[in-house]
Amino acid sequence: MRRRLALYGGGLVLLVIGAFPLAWMLSTALKPSGEIFATPPTLVPKVVTLENFRRLFAETSFLTYFTNSVAVSLATVLLTLSVSALGAYALTRFVFAGRERIAGLILMTYMFAPIMIIIPFYILVKQLGIVNTRLALVLSYTTFCLPFCLWLLRSFFHAIPLELEEAAMVDGASLRRAVWHIVLPLALPGLIAAGIFTFILAWNDFLFALVLITSDELKTLPVGVNDLFNATIVDWGMIMAAGVMITVPTIAFFAAVQRYLIQGWGAGGVKG
Amino acid sequence: MKRHALTGWLLLAPSLLLLGGLVVFPILYNLWLSLFDKHAFMPVQRFVGLQHYVYFAHDAEFWASVQYGVIYAGSTLVLQLLLGVSAALLLNEAFRGRNLLRGIVLFPYMIPTIVAVILWKWLLNDSYGLVNHWLLAAGLVQTPVAWLGKDHIMTSLVITSVWQFFPFVVVTYLARLQTIAPELYEAAKVDGAGAWRRFRHVTLPQTRNVLFVIVLLRSIFMFTKFDTVWLMAGEGGVSRYVRTLPVYAYARSFTYLQAGMGAALAVLMFLMLLAVTAAYFRVLRDEEAVA
Repeated sequence: MRRRLALYGGGLVLLVIGAFPLAWMLSTALKPSGEIFATPPTLVPKVVTLENFRRLFAETSFLTYFTNSVAVSLATVLLTLSVSALGAYALTRFVFAGRERIAGLILMTYMFAPIMIIIPFYILVKQLGIVNTRLALVLSYTTFCLPFCLWLLRSFFHAIPLELEEAAMVDGASLRRAVWHIVLPLALPGLIAAGIFTFILAWNDFLFALVLITSDELKTLPVGVNDLFNATIVDWGMIMAAGVMITVPTIAFFAAVQRYLIQGWGAGGVKG
Repeated sequence: MKRHALTGWLLLAPSLLLLGGLVVFPILYNLWLSLFDKHAFMPVQRFVGLQHYVYFAHDAEFWASVQYGVIYAGSTLVLQLLLGVSAALLLNEAFRGRNLLRGIVLFPYMIPTIVAVILWKWLLNDSYGLVNHWLLAAGLVQTPVAWLGKDHIMTSLVITSVWQFFPFVVVTYLARLQTIAPELYEAAKVDGAGAWRRFRHVTLPQTRNVLFVIVLLRSIFMFTKFDTVWLMAGEGGVSRYVRTLPVYAYARSFTYLQAGMGAALAVLMFLMLLAVTAAYFRVLRDEEAVA
């Protein structure tokens, strides 16, 4: 009995630590401005209003930032999955000199934090003439997700018996069809895990967006919301509404595919 | 049926091109750049050799940033480990709602840093923040604490960071806990070992390796953390009380526009990490040799 009490007590503490700050953000976002600053504070809003959300969309560029974030994140996921699936397939199914060494080197590039190469990176992007474009963001995020995705997909491809695709090819399927219809569907959990990691990294990134983007109409959410925060006297209700809007896609995505994510997470850990 | 090596290279080419062009090349270019006086935007540059490194050896701001970095990385590491390992041990036990809680605990790590930061700035707000309200109500303080003022900004930054990153420890540690054979615990129970002794003599030795990896990765990540620190304190005002090395490197490059100096700081950051990692591996190996 005492043991159970301790377990549920501990669980409750953990629930409060993990969820309460986010619940408080939601609660503030739904309050009218008078109630936000009331003493004593009300944990659950007495009056629920969407006024903060309306101001956020009507009076700021939030919708632009949101659209940019969606576009950049989805493009990054698509590009990263294509490039890393091709690469991981080559690393498991083709034999060539130095293959394992290359795989090791790829993992090493993962050890470099973005802040350690942001300066030459910025100069390079500027010389390529793509500074202040969404393309620059997509390429940076893709590059930084690649090592992890390559290794994750490599482990998934390893687990798929070679005989399956060979059998299909004996039956007359081309290599491309064998991969498309047999290998990729079997590696789906890996693809989903890699896709989610990539999405979250691109959606959350602050540094690259801060350095590479200067026009307001190209900014993504983290930098855009930071600008809103710094612009004037903080409008707490509206800022919390912005916080809710940025958080919802991540949590929804995550909740939908949680079991794949845990699997992939165990396989390699994630950066940050 | 034949798989040509050339096809393999072709499939790998896009990955190698991106990593080579956007990671490996910038790393080398960064080394080169650190030997020049270069403006961040203008094309002018002048070779200065190791002059930047000599400068930083005597630069008080640099040493202060190293010190802030060590304080920040060290304190967040210890607290993340304590909170993360306890949470993982709890989530490894069987109770109702465990799976839901396992998901919820990950939230702080999933959300963007900007959200974690504005959220904690609101909770710690000096006039209307919930934390001050509760401290006052409980009689623990007489006047509101200026959490984001210069005296407490480091504490607030540490709280925010620990909250944001402890789920990493939970997930990695829990993954290893789940693979410990139940027989080991049963044998310990038969021998009459209590909860603490089971943890000390079964769990800890079994999870030694994963703890090693967690400590190494978290220290590297925290020592190179930029966004949480920068967003929490901004550029002016109290920022100099939490100006860690990554923030200092950023300021040199993009505020003072001294790209060469910023590059030198990045190299120094890398060398420090390398030295600490090597020393860490060594200590661990010696320890294992003794045991």
